[in-house]
Amino acid sequence: MITVQSLHHAFMIGKKGKEKKVEVLKGINFEVQQGEIVSIVGKSGSGKSTLLQVIAGFLKPNSGSVYIKDTETAVFTEKQSAAFRLNHFGFIFQNFQLLPGQNVVENIELPLKLKGISSAIRQKKVQDMLKRVGLTEVADHYPNELSGGQQQRVSIARAMITDPPIVLADEPTGSLDMQTEQEILQLMQQLNRESNVTFIIITHDEEVASIADRILRMTDGLLMEEM
Amino acid sequence: MLFKDQLQFVWQHMKKNKMRVTTTVLAAMIGCAFLIVLASIGFGIQETMRNEILNQEKITEIELWGDESLTAEDEKWINDVEHVNVVLKKWDVAASVLSTFEDRTGYSQGAIFDMEAQSKLPSNLSEGRLPTASNEIIVGYHYAQNLLNEADQAEIERKSREAEANGTWYDGEEEGYKGEIIGKTVTLEFEDGEGDQEVQSGEFTVVGVLKKPSYEWYIDSSVIFGQGVQTLLPSLETYPTTTIFVDSLENVIPVLDILKEQGYQVYSVVEQLEEMDLFFLIFKIGLVFIGTIAVLIASIGIFNTMTMAVTERTREIGVLKAIGASPALIQRLFLMESAFIGLLGTGLAIILSYAISFGANAILPHVLAYALSEEDLTGYELTFSVIPFSLVLIAGGISLLVAILSGWRPARKATKIEVIQALRQEL
Repeated sequence: MITVQSLHHAFMIGKKGKEKKVEVLKGINFEVQQGEIVSIVGKSGSGKSTLLQVIAGFLKPNSGSVYIKDTETAVFTEKQSAAFRLNHFGFIFQNFQLLPGQNVVENIELPLKLKGISSAIRQKKVQDMLKRVGLTEVADHYPNELSGGQQQRVSIARAMITDPPIVLADEPTGSLDMQTEQEILQLMQQLNRESNVTFIIITHDEEVASIADRILRMTDGLLMEEM
Repeated sequence: MLFKDQLQFVWQHMKKNKMRVTTTVLAAMIGCAFLIVLASIGFGIQETMRNEILNQEKITEIELWGDESLTAEDEKWINDVEHVNVVLKKWDVAASVLSTFEDRTGYSQGAIFDMEAQSKLPSNLSEGRLPTASNEIIVGYHYAQNLLNEADQAEIERKSREAEANGTWYDGEEEGYKGEIIGKTVTLEFEDGEGDQEVQSGEFTVVGVLKKPSYEWYIDSSVIFGQGVQTLLPSLETYPTTTIFVDSLENVIPVLDILKEQGYQVYSVVEQLEEMDLFFLIFKIGLVFIGTIAVLIASIGIFNTMTMAVTERTREIGVLKAIGASPALIQRLFLMESAFIGLLGTGLAIILSYAISFGANAILPHVLAYALSEEDLTGYELTFSVIPFSLVLIAGGISLLVAILSGWRPARKATKIEVIQALRQEL
């Protein structure tokens, strides 16, 4: 499903003329199969978020290649990258990234709107999704009227609404308490089982990582698989 | 994204920033209304002047000048030119005509008409008929009023003096012969002014009265003869003129061109109209140009509003881009928002401009009449402001274009926002 080969990336830091090159990814190689849950664990600054950004197409790597379903995505233009994301990825962010001016239903149906799907089909899909993530009761609430756990459920529903083959989750439980964290992790596992969606979870939390089929550990720009 | 959803998305954002959007719409409205009203003054003055010319009722006439009377050959050739209806030959009588009727006398201008040609034209008479015999005449509308006895002259002098004291003038309409003039016989004497020629005279019967002139101030006391008078008074000195009647206004210039090519000395008021239209075209372009400056000032407001909108929504744009919105879509959403502001402003401006134009046309003649201490200006058909549909289209187009252009840079800025940076922003 996902193949990453000798991925290198560095940032230039500092004032102009006195920039320092900081290597973040120092040759990453790994593969993910369809339907797998893979955790990428590492300390702050280890480069795990940068890796996710490269896979998502937010960032172009200095060298190396990313294949998703046999398509090389690291060479895409911005426009191609956006279209590819819409059809292949769902995103779950640590701070949910919901649109404050739109209610739960509107936030969840946003990717469907971007795909140009008609209102009738959207409504049906969103109603189904609200049931799956248990948000039917708060369908017309706005993000600031929801708890953290509920907001993350909305975010998960938005990520899953287009039935993407891959969901990328960046610290999905980073802003939640222990109990809510458990609920969210269970929900992700449940969705993975039901839809055979591939999950890549970036986390620094060992407990979160433990729900994965495989754990990859990121240390100093290099990735190693835990046996 | 479906167009309907794009519209809804834009509308939602505009509603969220009601105050800011409303003030920007108002600025766009004032700019565009200023442009329309300013240009409408050009259209208004042009219409007033056009009406002035068109009201002369001579718009389908071509005057032909020359020292000699037209030959029969010339006349036939002109008559055969396409769109020429009638060639009317006229001779102005050089001498002034002194009419005597009972104890009244009055001076007039005399003219001889080719009555056969005149009979083919729409009637120019208010009553009576055209002359058929050589001792029959038709007279101007004010001819009878112009026939005065001594008592009338004294009265007019008195009233004129009174009117002058009040700063106006008196046209003598209350004096003169008040009875029926048709069927009456008058004695006409032709005086050439130098006195060295024998005075000719004759008795003539009035058979028709011309229509009232279109201008209120014009006193028509003319005397018009048929061609027979030339055999009756063979030594009468006359100057020939010819009027060519064309079937419709748009054919005047083509006929004029054909006649000029043939070397005829011709003139028509329509030529004046064309020159005037050219002058007003340049005048109106100038006004639109000045008005556009106001629209440009309003566009600064739109630019600011859109720049603020993009800055405020940076995180939102980041989210949209992250989940797969293309840069082109982001740009379109912001351009639609500025176009929407422009459209609302323009729509309101059109309504406001019509209201101002209507109000100005209703009130300004009274204000002007008061300022010039004239009692009534309604007879002059003054139009201060006219908003034709073409002006609405031009001003609306300029205003919309400027609105979209001022939204262009902010919209481009929105597409350049980087997802990673945007998502790091706090709410």
